[in-house]
Amino acid sequence: MSETTTLTNVKTGTWGGGKSPFSISYGKLMMWIFLLSDAFTFSSLLVAYGFIRHSYASNLVTPWPSPDHVFNHFPFLHGVHLPLMFVSLMTFILIFSSVTMVLAVEAGHRMAKKEVGMYMFLTILGGIGFLSCQAWEWTQFITGTHEGRMLADGSIFHGANLQMNQYGPTPFGDLFFIVTGFHGFHVLSGVVINIIIYLNVLGGTYEKRGHYEMVEKVGLYWHFVDLVWVFVFTFYYLI
Amino acid sequence: MHIEEHLEHTEPPKDMKKQIWKTFWILFALTVVDIAVYFQLMEYHSGYKNALFIILGVVKAYFIVGIFMHMKFEKKWLPYLIIVPMIFVMYLITLMVIEGNYTSFLR
Repeated sequence: MSETTTLTNVKTGTWGGGKSPFSISYGKLMMWIFLLSDAFTFSSLLVAYGFIRHSYASNLVTPWPSPDHVFNHFPFLHGVHLPLMFVSLMTFILIFSSVTMVLAVEAGHRMAKKEVGMYMFLTILGGIGFLSCQAWEWTQFITGTHEGRMLADGSIFHGANLQMNQYGPTPFGDLFFIVTGFHGFHVLSGVVINIIIYLNVLGGTYEKRGHYEMVEKVGLYWHFVDLVWVFVFTFYYLI
Repeated sequence: MHIEEHLEHTEPPKDMKKQIWKTFWILFALTVVDIAVYFQLMEYHSGYKNALFIILGVVKAYFIVGIFMHMKFEKKWLPYLIIVPMIFVMYLITLMVIEGNYTSFLR
């Protein structure tokens, strides 16, 4: 019997341990998991929206309003019927801010501090632009139109609140507030996080650290916000 | 046991900048198609039109997640981790929309 011992083979498969099966850093993986859970939250709102909207499908007393008769305003063009134009503008603003964000990530790979800073700044501007548009949209929705809606007692109701609205059934207004509000709050927190990262970039925090991975992480969040808007745009305004 | 510090990334293509702008124009064009279809078929209400909007939305999502969020260049487990649960979520949304239609007859 020989004295040499043979080592049992060390497992080297993907899930054998000792390395990340996902091949990304801990922070980025956790950001992905967070985004997945956030996607579930938005999906639950979407489930509620789909169910409630379709449960009004054969309701002739208070039908679900058609979006082109509700969201048809544009700033400085009072009284002109322009459905979809303003939200399209918002969509383009958000897509463009997504592009500047990914350009910041790309510049980060090259350790180009100045470029990262510039693109982060443009991304923040895009975010603020989007939020301003949404504030205008909400004001328009809450104030309502001059015609309003005639109530049973003969009085006229303008605009919308959580109890009632002039456009259609109460859940229409409620879902508008919760879906676009929850998304808008994500944009707001995204802008705040972007500002923090921007200041860190200017301060040279990541230059010292040797990599710009924080920009990538916040970029993932920012693109997710853009992604959610794609579906809000589709389900709330197009369909 | 020493855990590998340097994770091997699947490297993004060299001309990433070019690809970013290409993706931007694709997203721009898809949104323009959305708007064009919306205005052309304003009086035409059908499930086919809605299906088209949803498909365009999913295609846009593919480009945002794939290129902008870099998922196309990650190891295959990450896409599985994210996409498989979302497929079930899409199934749930479809079921609840169908259920909503039945509920409308009871209101």
